[in-house]
Amino acid sequence: MEKTNSPFASAYMRFLQLAKVIQALPSGMEMDANESALLQAVVLRWYENKPMTVREAIGLADLGSPATLHKRITRLRGKDMLSTLNLEGDRRAKFLIPTERTLDYFSHLGQSMQQAHQSQAA
Amino acid sequence: MKIALKEAFETAALTLGSAVLFAGFFHFNGWLFASLSYAESINWVFLPAGFRIVLVLILGLPGATGIMLGTWYLDQGSLDSQPWLVLLTGVVSGFTPFAVMKVLAKGQQTARLLQGITTQSLLNFTLIFAAASAVTHQLLWLVMERADVNIWVDVWPMFIGDAIGSLLMLYAFKLLLSQMKIKAL
Repeated sequence: MEKTNSPFASAYMRFLQLAKVIQALPSGMEMDANESALLQAVVLRWYENKPMTVREAIGLADLGSPATLHKRITRLRGKDMLSTLNLEGDRRAKFLIPTERTLDYFSHLGQSMQQAHQSQAA
Repeated sequence: MKIALKEAFETAALTLGSAVLFAGFFHFNGWLFASLSYAESINWVFLPAGFRIVLVLILGLPGATGIMLGTWYLDQGSLDSQPWLVLLTGVVSGFTPFAVMKVLAKGQQTARLLQGITTQSLLNFTLIFAAASAVTHQLLWLVMERADVNIWVDVWPMFIGDAIGSLLMLYAFKLLLSQMKIKAL
């Protein structure tokens, strides 16, 4: 049922509908639930000032086998969600740290949580 | 009366806007992808096909009419020699996507169709639009005996050009929307 007779208004409403779908088009950079869980574990350790090494990350047995986790880390690096860091004095340990894109992603999640909380309170 | 006039004015403005956008992007595409031209009116990348989808989905009938007018404007050079071909090419260009949309909507209004559309169905629409557009154009040109038409060969570059052009346009819109910071509803 059309709510308005104005062609301009109808066109704008349909533009908003189409824009919503276009914004959700796959970009090949989406994370699946397993990647998301690994990213959260790595970023949480980084946030607690105890960044996780690659060796530790592939040892997270509850998230998968070492080979699977290694592939998952590679995919997250390919999506620019994880970066590695070598500390001076210890070239062997490779630490996993979040990228700018990851921090933007978590910031967006935080904002969404706050909005949901506000709309519940209202 | 006043409201009817206002509606008519808005519909005319949307129709003309569609015609200008379609014709403008046709020229822009010709300039940008001149090296990818396969034959006259066929390009391996055809960006205006994306406008066909967007204009018809957003504007409906005024969008289809605008695309038809834009196509007539582009083909006006052949109007004297082949008036029926020009006339019908415009109709096919504008109303094929409109007809496909109506078939896929199964009698629903466009707003209702868009309400239920998913990214997967939008991508399906894009491919169906591209296939229908390529087939109807080629069939028309075959029936009207346009020069140098080989439907079995030419339909493929046209389909690929329309599909790639449409996908490029949709992703360009996605990029533009993300830059404009219009958040998803």
